[in-house]
Amino acid sequence: MSVFINRRDGARGSTGLPDRPDQMSDDCAKGGIAARGKRCRNIGQLREAVGRAARHGKRALAPLKVGWRHRELILAVLRRELADRFSGSLFGWVWAVIGPLITLLIYTMTFTKAMQLPLASAQGGTSSYALSTFLGLIIFGLFAELCSRAPLLMHEHAWFLKTSIFPSEILAWTAVLRALTYTGISFVVLLVFELALNGMLPLSILLLPFIVVFLGLFLLGVVWFLAAIGAFTRDISYLMITFVPLMMFATPVFYRVADLPAGLRMLVYANPLGAAIEITRAVVLDGVFPPIFACLGFLVVSLAICRGGYAVFERYKGILIDVI
Amino acid sequence: MSSDSAIRCAGLGKAYQLYARRTDQVKQMLFGGFHRFYQEYWVLRDIDLEVERGESVGIIGRNGAGKTTLLRLLCGITQPTCGELNVAGRIAPILALGAAFDWEMTGRQNVLIGSAVLGLRRSEILQRLPSIAEFAAIGPFFDQPVRLYSAGMRSRLAFAICVHADADILVVDEALTVGDAAFRQKGLAFMEAFRSRGTLILVSHDMEQVRALCDRVIWVDDGGVRASGEVANVLRLYDDATECEEDDGIHGYIGGKTRVLSLEVDDSEDEVTTTETFRHDDLECDSDEVSEAVA
Repeated sequence: MSVFINRRDGARGSTGLPDRPDQMSDDCAKGGIAARGKRCRNIGQLREAVGRAARHGKRALAPLKVGWRHRELILAVLRRELADRFSGSLFGWVWAVIGPLITLLIYTMTFTKAMQLPLASAQGGTSSYALSTFLGLIIFGLFAELCSRAPLLMHEHAWFLKTSIFPSEILAWTAVLRALTYTGISFVVLLVFELALNGMLPLSILLLPFIVVFLGLFLLGVVWFLAAIGAFTRDISYLMITFVPLMMFATPVFYRVADLPAGLRMLVYANPLGAAIEITRAVVLDGVFPPIFACLGFLVVSLAICRGGYAVFERYKGILIDVI
Repeated sequence: MSSDSAIRCAGLGKAYQLYARRTDQVKQMLFGGFHRFYQEYWVLRDIDLEVERGESVGIIGRNGAGKTTLLRLLCGITQPTCGELNVAGRIAPILALGAAFDWEMTGRQNVLIGSAVLGLRRSEILQRLPSIAEFAAIGPFFDQPVRLYSAGMRSRLAFAICVHADADILVVDEALTVGDAAFRQKGLAFMEAFRSRGTLILVSHDMEQVRALCDRVIWVDDGGVRASGEVANVLRLYDDATECEEDDGIHGYIGGKTRVLSLEVDDSEDEVTTTETFRHDDLECDSDEVSEAVA
């Protein structure tokens, strides 16, 4: 293990003093500390210069590497969390299946009986619309769960992080994998329904694992980002309560991109969550290859968000432990 | 870095950021480039330390001197503010024994997680479970939730995990104080045996323990190394100092002369509150500026 100090914050901390000469009174104790601060700063700068070149190359893969390095630990925590969820209650797995079923039922009834179906979605009839909405809800639910959980992630594990050498960046991995597992259960329900309705599943479903990987990376980035900021302030979790329902309408959950006027479609694809839902619909329900520009956009944006979220987390990781 | 050193640090320093309000943390995060919203509290500074592989080093010092922070830095639990730190090898910290347990989980589940945190593979852990249970010697409680454990039982289990972790470096902070005599014997025997194959860092107030287990002692005082070297010599110095210096509590209180790097007092209202919250009765310049600002 090797720790090099090149966080910008550390350097800034040491430069605080000389800005204000009036503060540098004849107090010799202070002067002594200033000299030490300077020395610390020089070492920091040197490290930074050397480290910068090396870091650039490794940077892109860092979020994946950290997951791979701690894979045993991630699995151990994941195994425990899943067991926790499903052995703590009498009908653990049953709830995981019934929950999405009830949601599916209610939403389908609302949108087929009480409200007019959007045009493009209505073409396949009620059952097709139900499946399409269910799929949207599953993926959106995944995002919503992580958004509401991520800001509290560090607080939940504060004591654990402070008293053991548990690497804090792992929490995002376990949170995402856990949520993906629950989603997997709902997804099996969806596939069973599709099979029952259509009698077959499209071959393009084999592309699903790729979507899951990139969706996972996107979510990882989101969780890292929210967990880092959420550690500093509780406001983020309040903000999420407002943000998530809004996001629901900006994402094609109850409608399909085809329902929108052409000008707005690009906007939906720019939202990685919307792109993920539409791509998954194409692959799982329609049995066609999704629009290539949507795939590329989704790929690039997911990677960028993953990398960016990780960068933010890494940047504040050192301070996080001290403030939670 | 020489290939023989297990731990090497140069100019290591740790400053905690003290915020007057929680919201200042957010401000610091957003606008940290323009203004500093916290005060620095230097717990440790200028620590130069080199520990050879296989050496065992004792760390002594009074409460609040920075011993535990030093250990936390060595373990990588917190990040240093400045300086350089290299740790070569797998580290097993025995700090705040059992504090990291999840109280709702059974002892067995906690062992699975705790050992994985220390870097063991699942197969290795499963293989060692019986041995861990035997070392902890908590009988049927091994499969009960940790919330039913006594403090002694928790520390027994936590110690048992660290014992089975294949560590190269064992970092021990006051570990055996809660255990009973029998368990303490067992723990000491383990540490004695560990000395021959790994590096031991031991923080203790028990001078006999330090004398028995360490090759070298470092005396940490007021955030710096006050003395280091031969066990007998440093302990003698420490004893002398303890006798003649009366116990004036924790040094370097927040905002005091000793550890504050800089104090910034703006005439905005926010800053005044900050200053008042931390009460720097010691620094005249501050009270002046505060009164100016208030006026």
